[in-house]
Amino acid sequence: MAFIECRQLSKTYRKGAGTIRPLDNLDLDVDQGSFLALMGPSGSGKTTLLNLIAGIDQPSGGALTIAGQDIAKLSRSRLAQWRAKHVGYVFQLYNLVPVLTAYENVELPLLLHPISRKVRHERVAAALSLVGLADRHDHYPRQLSGGQEQRVAIARAIVTDPDILVADEPTGDLDKPSAHAVMELLCRLNQELGKTLIMVTHDAATAEYAGLTLHLDKGRLVEQSVQTAFSGETATTRTQDGGAP
Amino acid sequence: MIRIKFWPLVIKQVVRHRVRTLLTVAGVGIAMYLFVAIQAMQKGVAEATQASAADTTLVVYREDRFCPFTSRLPEYYLPKIKAIDGVESAVPIRVVVNNCRASLDVVTFRGVPRDQFADTIGRDVEVQDGSLDAWKKRSDAALLGETLAARRGLKTGDQFDAAGITAYVAGILASDHAQDQNVAYVHLDFLQQQTDKKLGTVTQFNVKVDDPSKLDAVSAEIDALFASAEQPTTTRSEKAFVAQVAGDMIELIGFTRYLGWGCLVAVLALVGNAIVLSVQDRIKEHAILQTLGYPSSLIGRLIVTEAVVLGTVGGLVGAGAALLTIRLTRMSFSVDGLSIPIDAGPLLLATGLLLSVALGVFAGLVPAIQAARRPIVTCFRAI
Repeated sequence: MAFIECRQLSKTYRKGAGTIRPLDNLDLDVDQGSFLALMGPSGSGKTTLLNLIAGIDQPSGGALTIAGQDIAKLSRSRLAQWRAKHVGYVFQLYNLVPVLTAYENVELPLLLHPISRKVRHERVAAALSLVGLADRHDHYPRQLSGGQEQRVAIARAIVTDPDILVADEPTGDLDKPSAHAVMELLCRLNQELGKTLIMVTHDAATAEYAGLTLHLDKGRLVEQSVQTAFSGETATTRTQDGGAP
Repeated sequence: MIRIKFWPLVIKQVVRHRVRTLLTVAGVGIAMYLFVAIQAMQKGVAEATQASAADTTLVVYREDRFCPFTSRLPEYYLPKIKAIDGVESAVPIRVVVNNCRASLDVVTFRGVPRDQFADTIGRDVEVQDGSLDAWKKRSDAALLGETLAARRGLKTGDQFDAAGITAYVAGILASDHAQDQNVAYVHLDFLQQQTDKKLGTVTQFNVKVDDPSKLDAVSAEIDALFASAEQPTTTRSEKAFVAQVAGDMIELIGFTRYLGWGCLVAVLALVGNAIVLSVQDRIKEHAILQTLGYPSSLIGRLIVTEAVVLGTVGGLVGAGAALLTIRLTRMSFSVDGLSIPIDAGPLLLATGLLLSVALGVFAGLVPAIQAARRPIVTCFRAI
């Protein structure tokens, strides 16, 4: 059984008199510890899929099972608990709380967990140290560069030791050196800590960091590319019907 | 509410927009200041006019007269009143005020026979400073109620002028009785000579009955006794007397309760407005918190707590300032020599604070529910 299983997963929105279907009966299996990139044109459904896996949106149909738990059936409050425990989310625009320091931003998700202040402090310090920003713990977001802000956001995402890291265009707002540093960090988290990493990107170069790239179009899976561990060699398979490759 | 570990987050959000927060707190403070001041007036009216089962004092006044300048009763009524069954004691009182209109700074002289003071009025008061002996010995001596003394800044040994009378402060009185806190007790003959240039006429008789249940019977008997006399009387319980004589002012003060409710509505609107603005500014932040796993209920409680902090700080500032002002100025409304004290104590402060907290909860409730119910993805899309 795959770590993440999507079966006939669909999402529909009402817009005016019409209905939009960003995800259309998608089937997908993701193994634990894999690094998956989602690519596709705007409106292809990649961010919708990411949000469903992250548990911040709910599917209109189908099943979404993560670590044996069908999260589509969870209530809003149970889903929040599930997110707090299992998911770390990295946004394109970092989304740090501006009135909180780097330390306080990273501490935010830990406040939901029944742990002592001392343990919280240790975990925040470890997370900041892992992203190389231990010396910036008392800086506010406005005092950090974009790359540093994104690294703080990554520290916030990993501080609870989640099983899954989801990243929505994590380098989309960064210059090349910062983007490279962030991607190196994400790769380390995937390879050294075994985090399952799912990333949405428009940038093919960024997608190359992932072991597997899925291409979506009109809510269906149309192509998958498998990278061979940074060698640059890529094996591409085209899917015929948008089903599981 | 929320756990202590979330409080720094709340405080940071509250002080995030300092000017907005300061304006909100100032607005709440002013509204609560007015509310507490109005409640203090209402409390004073209640204390001065609401009868209790333990009331035993009657006031005998000239029939159809409501002003101390027009109520003239012969002093020789005293033995006849004392002879009535149920009367424990009676004291003739001459009342002179420096200002017959409703005012916040009226000096009321009450002339009482020097040998009757200790056994009548003296039983309900405590001479805190100076002595009763000093008062007895000196013809122009006055015992001042503590409110009057504090308001005028007078102490034992001082001399003061009011209503054309110069008196010497022989002591300061403390009393739970509203009418004793704002008067200057002087010798009856001294006051009669100073004002009438002759003896024998008083404004009223204060009569103590030996049993509260006899109030009505005794007052009816007194009025019946003098019904055909040259100066007929109307006798009422002291609080009923205050309620009737100061009726216009009491009605006016009663009307201010609507202003008090208006103040509370203003607090609700101010805090509600500040929280709505704050929540609108932070739609995305709330979505981020929810993405991190913060449940909707916690988001709602964080918002309500922010509103409670604003309400409580404003309430504390306003109610505290009102209490301080009332305590320092010792003001009281006076009309026709009767006092309605403006009185605020810790209970009123606590009431003001409690209301501020409650209003904070109410003000934060709607924006909190709206923020908690908003789907996360919708919030991100809305930016």
